[in-house]
Amino acid sequence: MTTAPAYAVSFRFRDGAQRSIVTDGSIPLLDAALAQGVPLLYQCRSGSCCTCTAHLVAGDAEMASDAGTALLKSEREKGFRLLCRSRPRSACAFDLAYDSSIAAGAARKARVFVNALDHLAPDVMRVRLELAEDDWIDFRAGQFIQVRVPGTDAVRSYSMSSTPSELPNLDLLVRLIPGGVMSEYLRSRARVDDVLQIEGPFGAFFHRDQIKAPHVMIAGGTGLAPVLSMIDALRRKPGRKPRVLLSFGCASCESLFCVDELELRRLWLPTLATRVSVDRGAEADGIRIGNPVTAIAAADVEDPETVAYLCGPPAMIEAGRTRLMALGVSADRIFAEQFVPTS
Amino acid sequence: MDGNGAVRRRKAGGKLNRISDQRVNDQKLQSQYQPYKDAAWGFINHWYPALFSEELAEDAVQGIQICGIPIVLRRIDGKVFALKDQCIHRGVRLSSKPMCFSKSSITCWYHGFTYDLGSGRLTTIVANPDDKLIGTAGVTTYPVHELSGMIFVFVREDDFPDEDVPPLAHDLPVRFPQNNERFPHPLWPDTPSLLDEGAVALGMHRTGESNWRIACENGFDNAHILVHKDNTIVHAMEWTLPLGILPTTDDCITLIEDEDGPKGLMQWLFTDRWAPVLENKELGLKVEGLKGRFYRTSVVLPGVLMVENWPEEHIVQYEWYVPITDDTYEYWEVLVKVCKTPEERAKFKYRFDRVFVPLCLHGFNDCDLYAREAMEDFYADGTGWDDEQLVATDISPITWRKVSSRWNRGIAKPGRGVENASKTGSIRMRRLAEGKKPGYFVEKIND
Repeated sequence: MTTAPAYAVSFRFRDGAQRSIVTDGSIPLLDAALAQGVPLLYQCRSGSCCTCTAHLVAGDAEMASDAGTALLKSEREKGFRLLCRSRPRSACAFDLAYDSSIAAGAARKARVFVNALDHLAPDVMRVRLELAEDDWIDFRAGQFIQVRVPGTDAVRSYSMSSTPSELPNLDLLVRLIPGGVMSEYLRSRARVDDVLQIEGPFGAFFHRDQIKAPHVMIAGGTGLAPVLSMIDALRRKPGRKPRVLLSFGCASCESLFCVDELELRRLWLPTLATRVSVDRGAEADGIRIGNPVTAIAAADVEDPETVAYLCGPPAMIEAGRTRLMALGVSADRIFAEQFVPTS
Repeated sequence: MDGNGAVRRRKAGGKLNRISDQRVNDQKLQSQYQPYKDAAWGFINHWYPALFSEELAEDAVQGIQICGIPIVLRRIDGKVFALKDQCIHRGVRLSSKPMCFSKSSITCWYHGFTYDLGSGRLTTIVANPDDKLIGTAGVTTYPVHELSGMIFVFVREDDFPDEDVPPLAHDLPVRFPQNNERFPHPLWPDTPSLLDEGAVALGMHRTGESNWRIACENGFDNAHILVHKDNTIVHAMEWTLPLGILPTTDDCITLIEDEDGPKGLMQWLFTDRWAPVLENKELGLKVEGLKGRFYRTSVVLPGVLMVENWPEEHIVQYEWYVPITDDTYEYWEVLVKVCKTPEERAKFKYRFDRVFVPLCLHGFNDCDLYAREAMEDFYADGTGWDDEQLVATDISPITWRKVSSRWNRGIAKPGRGVENASKTGSIRMRRLAEGKKPGYFVEKIND
């Protein structure tokens, strides 16, 4: 008879709080930890959303090799693991990028009314929602909700571009994909006053408290949504505002959106600078050709305290992380959320 | 449908009571000052005048309300302290029945919760000195700056950090002669400032019944000269006011956006950038000749007006429109003159009492009070902010709305759990029945 191994696994939160569990490695670490009362953030439990990302700082833990996960190879090499997919191979220790109090904001279900559907670009729609009477959710700027496509079992995740101060109103920026289930609903069937089922909030991508440090935000396409929410939330916080550089990129001038919204933010927030890039097309007034990552120069991240938020397709995140770290931004001050279309 | 069954579109126009496309404040412009539209309860995290120095004697305690926040002030050994006037226990106003057992504290008269004047911390509870709440909580403190006869308070959000509190000078109008080059004034001498050595501030403050923004915009609205045409001083001094003043260029107003200084705008009055209107042919109105008084207006955050060279040379008039709630404000009219000797002070005081108060502070400005009230109904429920139809001369308030939207340090949240947050409470009704209108000061308990 083989005795089951007993691995001591400790989790250290950003506020210094520490929790430890003992597990035999037969179930993923996320499940073991939650069962033993550790307040971890999670959402999809299937390796796609990266909410349960943790940094392995001691010992050995591996993710199930048969499951493709959304974690980038470069991230895995730096020691990041998705806890919903990881099992310990020895006693180990993880660092988490959020405070122990964060997971207290548990996700809830709610119903919302559609207030408006606006085409901002050929493939981007802004969906304005309002919580129904007696329903409520709360969130931190940068988090997302899951929305059920009416008449189906399919759920899709979207980040709020609005801030918690605007509740019960919630705005989403949705990328319309040919043949996508939610895209088809929005393009053909959706009407004002439709009722949708949502659940949330989810996500470890939200604005941290380093209010004074210079901020660099890189957004690709509808990745602008959580970043815009963070900029608006930052604007409302009391005290001196930090310098914020927003680098926003879209595929082409035709697919650009929210240009007016960015102009308003520049007006309202004197410390905000924006750079808009498009992958292809003719150079236009104030719009550079290129991608939003290359728009960042060394001078933009001179301050060693610089904090960065990235949201967009995986390739952009990968390139962004690499470039920022090469320019001297500390790895633990880079926060990222990947936007991946669900097939 | 006409006779042959074809369907036709409605004809546009025809009705006059529609919003005109020609109004200056279209949707796009309004978005630029949306933060201002949201600021019904005021801009917070700014310096505001609280009291004249003489309104707070040594060891006295007074209670006021600014931006929906109740504030208690106490002067002890000459120094003024300001704390949130709301006991953390059950919300009682400390100022309504002052109780101070030591020089460094103030005690709530109901259950004895005692706060340190400097830190706001709960240091003891009179009847419960071992309670575990002591030392772990307290009330917000507000930095104070007293000068030239006025007490200013930095009204801030509870979590606004001490290290971000700016100097008072950042919330006061621009100074001279430092700005002589930027804002030359060939027609009058250097304008004095509250910050000048020897500056003396004489004035008054009273509560007005409108939103603070309506009051503020009236101060520098060049098109409202008509309202003042019957004022006594105009006729006694034989001034001839024009019918109005029109901007002649796009740079009739210059923004003030000093990095370590005030934020607002300056209007180039009495230059060729503004032209007096002396005639209206359609109505048969004509102003003959012009014996005017030269002056210039500017406004900076949080909403302080400076009228240079008014009402005389070497004197400046400041006005504040301090939000109390969303429908009341405290209107300050302050004249400042540099007086180097006691004789000069006495002469200024005499002239202030005998000339400036009856002819200027009342005689010229009283009509502004009713003018502001006249707009309040339109704006109170938000209608006015959306539906107003502004014209070219409104470049002044529009510019103010944009620059204040950009540079304000915070938008005050609607008052909750404070006096006059609810407009229909029984205490408010009782006070009205007693003839006391909603005001700025706490109602002290007479026992």
